[in-house]
Amino acid sequence: MVKQSEFKRIIEKSKDYTFLMPASLFLLLFLVYPIFFNLNLSFRDVNVGNLIQGERELVGLSNYVTVLKDPLFVKALANSIVFTVGTIIFSTCIGFMLALYFNKPFPGNKWMRSILLIAWMTPIIIIGTVFRWMLSGENGIINEILMNIGILSQPNYWLTDTNTALFSVIITNIWISIPFSMVIILSGLQALPGNIYEAAKIDGANRFQQFFYITLPLMKPTLLVLLMLGVIFTFKVFDLIYIMTAGGPADATQVIPFLAYQLSFGMYRFGEGAALSNISFIIIGLFALVYLYFIRREEVM
Amino acid sequence: MAKKWILSFIGLFIVLTFLFPIYWMVISSIKPAGDIFGDSSIIPKRITFEAYINIFNQQDIRVLSYFKNSLIISFGAMIGTLCLATPAAYAIARRKIKGITLFLLFVLITQMFPSNMLALPLYSMFANIGLLNTYTGVIIANMTLSIPFAILVMRTYFLMIPTALEEAAAIDGCTRWGTFFKIILPLAKPGVFTAGAFSFLLAWGEFLYSLTMLKNNDLWPVTLGMRQFVGQYSTNWSELMALSVVSSLPIIIIFIFTQRYIVSGITAGSTK
Repeated sequence: MVKQSEFKRIIEKSKDYTFLMPASLFLLLFLVYPIFFNLNLSFRDVNVGNLIQGERELVGLSNYVTVLKDPLFVKALANSIVFTVGTIIFSTCIGFMLALYFNKPFPGNKWMRSILLIAWMTPIIIIGTVFRWMLSGENGIINEILMNIGILSQPNYWLTDTNTALFSVIITNIWISIPFSMVIILSGLQALPGNIYEAAKIDGANRFQQFFYITLPLMKPTLLVLLMLGVIFTFKVFDLIYIMTAGGPADATQVIPFLAYQLSFGMYRFGEGAALSNISFIIIGLFALVYLYFIRREEVM
Repeated sequence: MAKKWILSFIGLFIVLTFLFPIYWMVISSIKPAGDIFGDSSIIPKRITFEAYINIFNQQDIRVLSYFKNSLIISFGAMIGTLCLATPAAYAIARRKIKGITLFLLFVLITQMFPSNMLALPLYSMFANIGLLNTYTGVIIANMTLSIPFAILVMRTYFLMIPTALEEAAAIDGCTRWGTFFKIILPLAKPGVFTAGAFSFLLAWGEFLYSLTMLKNNDLWPVTLGMRQFVGQYSTNWSELMALSVVSSLPIIIIFIFTQRYIVSGITAGSTK
């Protein structure tokens, strides 16, 4: 009798799994398996001849060594770090200011803050193309504006000048990221308890004091989530580099994801391409671990 | 009261300044070819729709075909994502199953994978099973991006539905899947709607997988087709901007109708 009900329970339980099964199988086949396959490829000599079929010779860690020894890797890593840090700092600060503004109650605030998201929703390939035109050395509007107000005396070729190319791409990416930061920060602001501010006002705290002693500390968890997401999303930006500069001029905008693409699909050094994409995953993963460690410590305190 | 309207006015000014690149995209597309290099004033002196007519009349660049391909890929990815992610999100929200936290953790980790990490192995796999140069291949690749996100978004909506409803349905003799389709899904409509819109928008803008998998330009989506307008020596900016406007139009239309859901979806999918 007991056995039978136990059996029935298992049958019932297995019905729960039918909900999870299709997605799990799909992700196992097209997400988990490829990740391991990529790991496998990174330890082998893979070229045009054997990428699809045939023997791939095991070469141990040599792909990793080649990639790490390449001076281009160091340059791409440095650029990626500047790209990521620059984007996150500015998009978070500007996003925070916009969030504070559009959190005020005034007619149209909801509509306005969601329309800003167009910058984030529009395909990166299109945004990259538009900024390429605006930053163009020949009649680009940015040059025209800067020359009209007297900052520039002659047109600057923003994207083909090695001194300004990375800066220009970062500006574009900041513009794309601002609305996302703003929406995340707004959701945090709306969850803050209003009565604390009432109390602070009674105690005579001015606006700046309220911001630095109340808002900022309470927003710390939201900002940490945003920082984490920012690193994950920004470190893997590929399309923007592809459409705006293709890593150039003279590798001034070469970043890790674009280099990994070039190794595999431009130079057909597939083993090295696989190794580099694994390295970039490890970098993001290490960052995530450090982040989780801090979150834990925060929770314990 | 007056103070509030001043705030609105400044807010509108911020929005317009911030969205200047979008405005400039539209303006550049309706300037006559002669003015694009000569007239840099913010408000155009002359307007023409020549560039729009030109892009649809190109012989070698078939804009309509790119559009059709983008629609097929995006709809395919959306439907595939919803079919697989909706039941999974429901199962995860109810947490009756062992290993569910592990699955959730896995879903979170997948967001850390650089797309490059999948592009190469998927290319090799798809070459072996004949999925290169097919819509199916690109749709599958897109679904690897959108399923994890869709699961996270819909989970928060399923969590809001009281379990009492399912218990009542079970007493009435409804099966689990019956309850899911007849009772739960209609209640979770906004969640499904949000996840669907996101999958569509993600697929519309996706670039790397199409770039690596579609060698045949009959299958190119708009994101790939746009590259053809960037000439080696000179670029026809008014035509390129016209194509940009046309390509972002579906995004902007979908966005205007779903903005309420999109905003809540972003926060649900990334912070909860």
